[in-house]
Amino acid sequence: MKNILTAIFFALALCSCHHIEEFDNNAEGSFDAVWTIVDEHYCFFKEKDIDWRETGSRYRSRVYNGMSSENLFDACAGMLSELRDGHVNLSSGFATSYYRDWWSKYPQNFDARLVEQYYLGFNYRQLGPVIYGILPQNVGYIRWSSFESGLGDGNINNILSDFWLCSGLIIDIRDNGGGSLTNAEDFIRRFLSERTLVGYMVHKTGPGHDDFSKPWPYYYEPAGANCLIWNKPVAILTNRSTFSAANNFVSIMRYLPGVKIVGARTGGGSGMPVQFDLPRGWVLRLSTVSILDAQGHPTESGIEPTEGYAVDLDPVAALSGTDTMLDRAIAAVTE
Amino acid sequence: MAKKISRLINRASCIVHRALTNRALISALCIAHCALCIRAEEPLRPVSSTYTVEIGSAHLADTYLSPMHYTGIHAGLSYSRLQAMRFDPERWVMQLRLGASVDFTKNPAKTITLYNAGIDASWGMMRRWTLPAGFSAGIGPALDIDAGVLYIDRSGNNPASARAAVTVDASAFAQWRGSLLGIPLTARYSAMLPVAGVFFSPDYGELYYQIYLGYRSGLVHPAWWGSYFSLDNLASVDLHFGATSLRLAYHNYILSTKASNLVTRNVTHALSIGITTDWISLRPGSDAVKASRIISAY
Repeated sequence: MKNILTAIFFALALCSCHHIEEFDNNAEGSFDAVWTIVDEHYCFFKEKDIDWRETGSRYRSRVYNGMSSENLFDACAGMLSELRDGHVNLSSGFATSYYRDWWSKYPQNFDARLVEQYYLGFNYRQLGPVIYGILPQNVGYIRWSSFESGLGDGNINNILSDFWLCSGLIIDIRDNGGGSLTNAEDFIRRFLSERTLVGYMVHKTGPGHDDFSKPWPYYYEPAGANCLIWNKPVAILTNRSTFSAANNFVSIMRYLPGVKIVGARTGGGSGMPVQFDLPRGWVLRLSTVSILDAQGHPTESGIEPTEGYAVDLDPVAALSGTDTMLDRAIAAVTE
Repeated sequence: MAKKISRLINRASCIVHRALTNRALISALCIAHCALCIRAEEPLRPVSSTYTVEIGSAHLADTYLSPMHYTGIHAGLSYSRLQAMRFDPERWVMQLRLGASVDFTKNPAKTITLYNAGIDASWGMMRRWTLPAGFSAGIGPALDIDAGVLYIDRSGNNPASARAAVTVDASAFAQWRGSLLGIPLTARYSAMLPVAGVFFSPDYGELYYQIYLGYRSGLVHPAWWGSYFSLDNLASVDLHFGATSLRLAYHNYILSTKASNLVTRNVTHALSIGITTDWISLRPGSDAVKASRIISAY
């Protein structure tokens, strides 16, 4: 009996404390927290061929206890920028780090006023994150500037019913930096006629760089009975700042019949980001779940336009009120 | 001769029949009498109901949400019900516990709040032993259901973490009834320790959005001391004032889980105050009702 009680006591003592790694609340501890969280959770090391241990040791040598918060922040931000991921940020009380090269090294390819003034004549409707109107070529035009906010079923019905007699639809998501996948999903369902495989998700199953789940297919259902479904030609206008949920929108729409992607390569950002807080109250955001398209291809580095529909905004033509990308999109749905 | 023999047999069978009939009657009367005796002597089994409120400290950690440890305030309400069991009231008691709690905690830098809300229900039976000098003790199994959610007030795709478990627990108590400074009291320590069951946990990097879309595999994990350790300690003193008692207690709760390389921890310390009452429900027509003069206000 005594042995049994002793065994139970030790079993309880061993099991009662599941270990949680703790970090010191100083510069080195904060840096180690950033490095470790990325090491254990980030999902694109392999795709981007990043040696995270080497990267960490390179920046770790610049960190010492007693250094200023600003200098520590810069060291951490520099290390994070090597992930080349627009979803990775470090936020503190005085700054948020941001990797900008994914869009800053490319032409912007978008001028909102150009469309509003010369194509819509400032005669358009605005509804939440959307402006919409009918172009002179009898083509419906929707600009969805962010998927941070969505539209209700009734809102989308109103827009599509306005366009019901149009010959095609242009969805302009240039400069749409993403937002909620469910807001994009609500709109995508208006273009589906049946349950459709829209992609695969792969998540981390452990802290190792190779610990991933099998790609898990996910499907979207068509919109409900009282929702208008659009089955005429669609052109989606994209630029390098089409990112994250907007990139995901493109990755799904491009495989639907009658849909063409027009413009420039998207910005990517197919990792779903999560956030973790750090010893100083700083917050780290990073990609942990990779979304693949319906054919199993990664889209983290962006999606090319449909073959034959790649086009940039001609800055000279823009001076005379011409959006060469929009013109190409109009042609795509009317030709 | 044959007629004589037949008459003798008939008489003998009548005697035997009468004897048997009398015995059956007596037996039936005895059984009925015993049944009445048992019914009349069936003990009353009052229900001890306790309502408490508690407040104290909370220590939370959930590596799905954050690597940091959060500390703050814990508050809770609970109801417990103890009653001797009908089948062997001297030795077996049942216990029902219902509880709800909330925690408001901050990270070490005090910049982010982590909220925890949970409910808990358990029902169990305990074999009890009456010991000398007012002491008693008991132990037994219980079925425990625990559910809750952690919410952290920052954006991202991991703002919340759900908690759910169904476990079979070992529950135990030790108790002393006596008096101190002339006040009758009951000092009691009770504990509940889940032994086996199942609990919910997402995969290491799995998002709740994936679960929403239909990814449901690997969410339920076996609970044992290596993966799900929980201990609920309650030390209480009931000061008896007539039919009502004042309960003063210290309540400590420990939960530590590990599944899919995710660790959660929830430790609370709380002081609680409550009221305990003993009550008896009377069934109309029962012996207890017949034997009493009852004036209802209803």
